[in-house]
Order: sequence, then structure tokens, then C-alpha cells
Amino acid sequence: MSEEDWLRQDRLPHIFCAGCGNGTVINCTLSAVEQIGWKRQETVFVSGIGCSSRAPGYISTDSLHTTHGRALAFATGIKLANPQLNIVVFTGDGDLAAIGGNHFIHACRRNIDLTVVCLNNMIYGMTGGQGSPTTPMGGLSTTTPYGSGEPAFDLCGLATAAGANYVARWTSYHVRELTRAILTGLENPGFSFIESLVQCPTNYGRRNRFKQVADQIEYFKSHTILVEKAARMREKGEMIPPEMILAGEFVRRNRPALGVRP
Amino acid sequence: MRLQIDERRCKGCNLCTLVCPYRIFKPGKRANRRGIVVPELDRPERCANCRLRHLYGRTLCGNCQMICPDQAISWKEDEEPVPKKVAIEY
Ligand SMILES: Cc1ncc(C[n+]2csc(CCOP(=O)(O)OP(=O)(O)O)c2C)c(N)n1
Ligand code: SF4
Ligand code: SF4
Ligand code: SF4
Ligand SMILES: [Mg+2]
Repeated sequence: MSEEDWLRQDRLPHIFCAGCGNGTVINCTLSAVEQIGWKRQETVFVSGIGCSSRAPGYISTDSLHTTHGRALAFATGIKLANPQLNIVVFTGDGDLAAIGGNHFIHACRRNIDLTVVCLNNMIYGMTGGQGSPTTPMGGLSTTTPYGSGEPAFDLCGLATAAGANYVARWTSYHVRELTRAILTGLENPGFSFIESLVQCPTNYGRRNRFKQVADQIEYFKSHTILVEKAARMREKGEMIPPEMILAGEFVRRNRPALGVRP
Repeated sequence: MRLQIDERRCKGCNLCTLVCPYRIFKPGKRANRRGIVVPELDRPERCANCRLRHLYGRTLCGNCQMICPDQAISWKEDEEPVPKKVAIEY
């Protein structure tokens, strides 16, 4: 079997805009489920609403495209009804952290055995580019035309504080690292949270000085700093510039988990 | 193995041109029937995966395939060369 078998080929090309990072994260996720050797009949993809949440529609397993913000609630239901199933949730930053914020923290607290991949494009992509809880300070969107004046959510910090067993962040440039992080998340019992920053050329990039798709990818490449390096810098009392993206593994632990196969 | 871009899936984002260590992908010049400028391949036989996949029994490099948001990049098995009789006319 190969990753191509996990795709619903009759549904491709998908509806994502040219250069949208969502497609890359689908590749990485399918590569990880292929490597862990899960069977398609025993795997379910769940999502909420948003561009990112359309991902399960292109995957050849059973899937649930639910209501906005509620992917984790539905996924919890599936896992508790049938713990034999392997569940991967695709969710957007708006889906997970705005309307679905409470489901997110409580799923982390319960540490339910799911792998959640958050495609964070820092914007509401599907509805035309409104600001989301992860739009960075100064970021332009249709609802923040003078630049966002609010600090953004640190989704990985939130998941760690709320109790998730595995938490990591990468970007759509770091395809190998992201694939490895998702694979570790799949292997780890309990709530695994992998955030991937993704480019949204249509609604984020073109409003925020990324004229070409490649510009935002170059930005991800030059503005990531490994968590280990950031820790060393902090020890030495050095400042980490606020625009830097912290990437890597934040936590891997073994709190008691819910819904783990007997 | 032969590297190929599926023109029915490619949307011309040019991300593949960024990640290949051999710079095999070059931005295309002409729009195809769907209005998409698909990248061109510059001597694709240099691709690490084309040359070494069978030796190692796994995908090598594969950067372009992983980053391609449209699942448009793949490799095709080379066809066995069929011996042909050629009549040479002088
Ligand atoms: C209950 C409800 N409220 C609002 C909407 C409108 N809506 C659709 S998608 C979306 C935001 C999507 O943003 P995100 O989750 O970041 O996904 P993206 O499109 O950026 O991938 C909103 C507000 C909805 N569909 N349902
Ligand atoms: S609007 Fe943005 S997130 Fe949605 S498909 Fe287009 S590029 Fe991707
Ligand atoms: S990355 Fe894929 S979709 Fe983009 S130009 Fe290359 S082949 Fe086409
Ligand atoms: S597999 Fe690597 S070497 Fe081969 S074309 Fe893709 S990026 Fe280039
Ligand atoms: Mg979003």
C-alpha cells in the first residue's frame, strides 16, 4: 500500500487554492498513518468546518465532517463508542481555538486517545479572511484592517497546560519533521496535539506581504527556532524575538489517558 | 524510475521548485489547457529517487512529493526496453 491508496482519487484535484499549505499537511499525515501501518477500515478522520476541515473528504477511510468547532466532541464520541478505532482529527485555528476552544481544553484535560492535527493558517480562510485567535499582533485581516492589536493564542502552550500527552509544532515547510511528529503522536497513547503553521496565500499571505506562495514558505524557513535552542537562549538571558516561531516537541508524557484500547 | 507531474492535479504553485536539491523543477513558461503553468523538468534522470529507489528499497529524498500540496508528483516505473529490429537503409 502507499499514500496514494489513502486518497479518494476521484475527488482530486481538491478545492484548496494554488499553493495552500493544507495539501502538504495531508501528505505528511497520510505518510505517518502509512508508516504506523494502520488499516483503512480501522481508521477514522474527523473534522469541523473550514478549508482545513475539508481534508477528510479527500481521504479514503470513513470520516466525519461535523459542525464548526465540534470535531473533538464528535471524535470523543467515536472513540468511547469504539476504542478499537484509530482517530485523527483535522481542525483549523478558528475551528479549534475560537468556536471550539472549550472542547479543545477539555479534550486535553481528559487526555482522550486522539491525534489532533491543527492546520493553523492564522486566519479564517473559508469565510474570507477574518482574524482568528492565532492572527499575530499586527497581522492584517478583513476584521483587523489596521493590524491585529491582540496577542495570539499559543495553541501548544494551551494544550500543554491543559494536560495533553504529546504536543509539537512545525510548519508546512518542515515536511519531514512534521511527518515524524505526527507519527509520534499516533504512537503515543492519550491526546496528541500537532500544530502545523500553514500558508494561506489567498486570505493571509497576500494581505501580509507574502506576494508569492514561496514567500511565506521562506518566512517559515527563516523564522523557526527549535525549542531546545530557545531554552538555551533563555538560560543565557538572551531575548527571543517575538516574531520567531517556536518549533519542535513541547511535551511527551504519560498521564492517564481516556479511551485507550484495553 | 521516471519523475512525473500530473497535469490534471498541478495548480502551478511552484513550491516544488524551492525544495529540490538538484533544482530539477523549473517554473514553467506556458499555460496548459486548464490555464495552469506547470513547472518544467530539467534533466529529471538526476533525481535521487529515480536513481536509487530500487537499490535502497524505499523512497529517497522525496521532498518535492511531500511538499506538493496537490499530490501531483510521482514516479513511474521505467518500461522494459523492447528490442527492436532496425533496418538501416543506405
Ligand atoms: C456555527 C458556525 N459559525 C460560523 C460558521 C462560519 N464559518 C465557517 S468556516 C469558519 C472559520 C474557519 O476558520 P478555520 O477553522 O481557521 O479554518 P480555515 O478555513 O482557516 O482552514 C467560520 C467562522 C459556521 N460554519 N458555523
Ligand atoms: S482560502 Fe486559504 S486556507 Fe482556504 S483553500 Fe484558499 S489558501 Fe487554503
Ligand atoms: S508543487 Fe505540485 S502543484 Fe505546485 S507547481 Fe509543483 S507539481 Fe504543481
Ligand atoms: S525526489 Fe528529491 S531529488 Fe528527486 S525530484 Fe524530488 S526533490 Fe528533486
Ligand atoms: Mg484558519
